[in-house]
Amino acid sequence: MTTKSNQFTEKLLARNLISETQMETIKNHEALGIFSLHNELRFLLYLGVLLFTSGIGTLIYKNIDTIGHLAVLGLLFILTGVGFYFSLKKAKGFDKEEVLFDNPVYDYIVLLCTILSCIFIGYLQYQYKIFGYGLSSLVCSFIGFACAYYFDNKSALSIGITGLATFIGITVTPKTLLENEIYSNPSLTYYGIALGGLLLLWLAYSNKISLKKHFQLVFLTFALQLIGVCSIAGLLESYWYIFAFLLAAFVYYFYKISYEIESIFLFVFTVVYGYIGFNIVLFKLIAFVDISAFAEFLTILAPLYFIGSIFGFIKLIQHFNKEKS
Amino acid sequence: MIVFNKELLENTFLLAEAKRLNDQGFVSKSQLAAIKGQLPVLKSNNNVLIRIGFFLLGSFLFSSILGVFSLFTSFLLESHIGIMLFIYAVVAVVVSEFLAREQDRFGYGLDDAFILGFQGFFCATIGFSNESPLAAFIAMACIGLIACVRYLHTLSALLSLIGIVGVICYLVLEMKVVNSSFLPFILLLLAIIFYLIYAKINKSDRFIYYTNSIWLLQGFSLLLGYFAMNYLVVRELSESLLGLKIAKGQDIPFAFLFYGFTFLTPTFYIVYSLYIKDKLMLLMGFLTFGFSIFTIRYYYQLLPIEVALLLGGTLLFIVAYFAIRKIKDKETGVTFKPARGSEIDMLSNLEALVVNSQVDLKPMESDSKMPFGGGGFSGGGSGESF
Repeated sequence: MTTKSNQFTEKLLARNLISETQMETIKNHEALGIFSLHNELRFLLYLGVLLFTSGIGTLIYKNIDTIGHLAVLGLLFILTGVGFYFSLKKAKGFDKEEVLFDNPVYDYIVLLCTILSCIFIGYLQYQYKIFGYGLSSLVCSFIGFACAYYFDNKSALSIGITGLATFIGITVTPKTLLENEIYSNPSLTYYGIALGGLLLLWLAYSNKISLKKHFQLVFLTFALQLIGVCSIAGLLESYWYIFAFLLAAFVYYFYKISYEIESIFLFVFTVVYGYIGFNIVLFKLIAFVDISAFAEFLTILAPLYFIGSIFGFIKLIQHFNKEKS
Repeated sequence: MIVFNKELLENTFLLAEAKRLNDQGFVSKSQLAAIKGQLPVLKSNNNVLIRIGFFLLGSFLFSSILGVFSLFTSFLLESHIGIMLFIYAVVAVVVSEFLAREQDRFGYGLDDAFILGFQGFFCATIGFSNESPLAAFIAMACIGLIACVRYLHTLSALLSLIGIVGVICYLVLEMKVVNSSFLPFILLLLAIIFYLIYAKINKSDRFIYYTNSIWLLQGFSLLLGYFAMNYLVVRELSESLLGLKIAKGQDIPFAFLFYGFTFLTPTFYIVYSLYIKDKLMLLMGFLTFGFSIFTIRYYYQLLPIEVALLLGGTLLFIVAYFAIRKIKDKETGVTFKPARGSEIDMLSNLEALVVNSQVDLKPMESDSKMPFGGGGFSGGGSGESF
């Protein structure tokens, strides 16, 4: 691998596209023989945390009646406490900017403790019902946000936001999305859009006072999913035109934002939500008029529409890439 | 041999190299722009979404062209279907040549549709006219290799490799060239041969344009080597393909060998990849190790799942922790310092988005559902029932 890239590097040098000094730096760097395991090891830590917490969850679930409640609570409490103690000791304290632990292991200990405290609270709620209806997820959410902002942890932030969504009764995970079980109550559509809007407002405020600007993508992703899913659900209801306008407005907003922060991930999702919404509206319009008159025309048009959609999609992404670079 | 304009092709790879150097911070953005201005390159799409989009468009285009041709050749359908398929293949070759030669398309998406198309139709022609899967596999292996060499098409290399494996499997399983129970060893041998070829051409300077295909060859040989000797794969396939009946308390022939390889191969991959500093092999090592654990759990439930999860999680965490401690301050060689140009931000964003679907939702969900008396309790994240 290295020998081959060097060939091209040397050709670049031969054509005077890079300078001698640059070549020197590159060679010096390659002489170090760096083989970075940064991402791999971090991923192992992450996997470890996920396995461990699902193990604890299953353990409690299976043995809910046999092991002493106090024992479980005590164990969870001690584990969480110890974890937080060490994290607090190593943390550099709150800062508006991005602060990193010297050793990334603590990022994962914070994540572990956040999840464990959520399990702890869930257990407490199940056994002793100390929180009112739904409040326990609000408490989880609070812990998530606190950890996120104090320890600068995006995963904890994600837990915090999900907690909020759960509090109002929405579960937005890939699984629920696929099974069309996001929520059971239609009025939640409004709550979902409201929460999405709230997240966007909070993000705008955070950006204004430059508070943890790097949390941006997490906030935007959740806001987009909430608003997108809820608006599309709303489109299938009787007041659909309101949601059509809402969706159009938000798609425009996210379109602008994704250009601003140069995130292709956000851009693609925005386009997809916009496209789904557009098609639903289109079908509603077709259903309005008498189909039989158009039937043949529509059959001919359908493949063209399909090809045109792909072409439009390509053009949009190409335009995005051009602006980005 | 290579269809593309030599100079444009070289420029394309030079620009890619300049981009890599830019990612690593050796070359400034303005310098990259200057290099871009000076090098006319082949038209390609590096963005995978655009390429897939163009691939779909290309497939439409191809099928419409075929539609026109079918109008004239439909009389062949009855008795000479092979000729019809061959005409289709020729059409696809002509279009591929045109796109690559005249239009300078390389990895553009449109061309992929035609390159894959002519391979498909060519194999179908051979298969239909000889009525033999063996001939089709041989055709697949050869035509894939040719397409890979001529159009620098990585996916064709994969098809070619699959074709070769298909030939071997067909020879052993259907034509019984050797005793079928030796198939795992033959495939292992094939994987070793693939790896030796990889090692040989990877060193050579003559194949600089084939980097992706060479990587593919390496990855394929590593996976083939592992799965050929994996206990689960061997056992299940011998039961279904060879009709082997395994009574209780008995095991497949050479079981100890397969057990050994199931665990030694991943370990070897991981250790050796650290020694030769090979990312792909390391990745394969992790993946195959995961599959090995699955293999064992498939037959022996030594531990209840939750204990296995707890132990596994703890073990992973401890191993990673000590590994980080060991290499944290190293500046050279194997190190924990992020590589130049790697995107750490992306990993943390990904983790943040995955954690939401993986762990925390369910306990909260169960809380909020509790007041309705939903019944069970889904603890901390893996219970399905409420």
